[in-house]
Amino acid sequence: MEMMNELLEKYFRGETSLAEEKELKKYFSEGNVAAVHEIYRTLFEEFRQELNETAKTPLKKVIPVQRKIKQIWIQTFAYTSIAATILLLVWIQFPQTKENFAVIGGNKIENPEYVQRYTEKKLSKVNNILARSMEPMKSFNKVRQDVEPLQNVRNKMNAIQNKLIIK
Amino acid sequence: MSDVRYLTLLRHYKCMESTQFNSQILNHSDKLFRFAKSILRNVDAAQDAVQELILKLWEKRNMLDEVENMQAFTMRSMRNLCLDTIRQNREEVELAVEFEYIEPNPYQQTERSDLANRIRRMIDNLPELQRTIIRMRDVEEMEISEIAYITSLTENAVSVNLSRARQKIREKILNEQKRVEETIWK
Repeated sequence: MEMMNELLEKYFRGETSLAEEKELKKYFSEGNVAAVHEIYRTLFEEFRQELNETAKTPLKKVIPVQRKIKQIWIQTFAYTSIAATILLLVWIQFPQTKENFAVIGGNKIENPEYVQRYTEKKLSKVNNILARSMEPMKSFNKVRQDVEPLQNVRNKMNAIQNKLIIK
Repeated sequence: MSDVRYLTLLRHYKCMESTQFNSQILNHSDKLFRFAKSILRNVDAAQDAVQELILKLWEKRNMLDEVENMQAFTMRSMRNLCLDTIRQNREEVELAVEFEYIEPNPYQQTERSDLANRIRRMIDNLPELQRTIIRMRDVEEMEISEIAYITSLTENAVSVNLSRARQKIREKILNEQKRVEETIWK
């Protein structure tokens, strides 16, 4: 106890080393504190308690928040780049992957030359059919031309009839 | 030497990475908070001060690689920032009402019977320099040389202030004890 008395006096004079102060803290944290020293127990206990005190809110958020903003920018840039790349690839690939075909007789034909020849042939056939369809119209014209003199006869007869009535 | 001048002297920088910043500064944030709270005697103000300091240090992180004792440097910066805050708010002379130490009446004793709480208020009631030094030494267990650097005092001046602070606390504890005994025997 005498040694602790001296150490305490040295402590209050501000002359103790860190090691001696740790010894004092250990002494007051244990159960065998002399009654005369009991009054100082709370002081050393308070120092220990204050050491456990932490910041009210997590201060470590300061930097992660900044990093998060940076990460958001990086992620945005990355996603935009990826999206742009995908669009570019789709655009480049589109003409090659696009399927141009025709269905002829229920068959899928992808050969454009064949389809063109087939289409021209069919159009020619349609043309011929139309031409043939117009042939009867020529007969109608001929009949019309042949009947036209009869129309003149009819006109003359009407003229004669009119003269006779007048007279 | 002010922190700004100290930093401007560090011309050859390497950029401090965030992981290094975390390990060297953010990991001491609780210690910085306790330190700021001891000076400002206000939890919210201490919190704000630490946030402000960390942001300032982060902005100047590329200048910190040359700092030998980062803990002492940040503590010193913290103290300077807190003292600036006090000067700006002109609250140094008078204690804030919530921290003012008032002798408890018998009714209050039942509510505030916690001696530790009263001792904390006794320390808070010390002048800024003394409460800063006693907490750096007795709570954070820092060397006198480190405290001298942080407070810009000589080691001898630190020891003198430490002794005065401890003597005052001892005196208050003894008075408190005497008052309690008198209350009991009345």
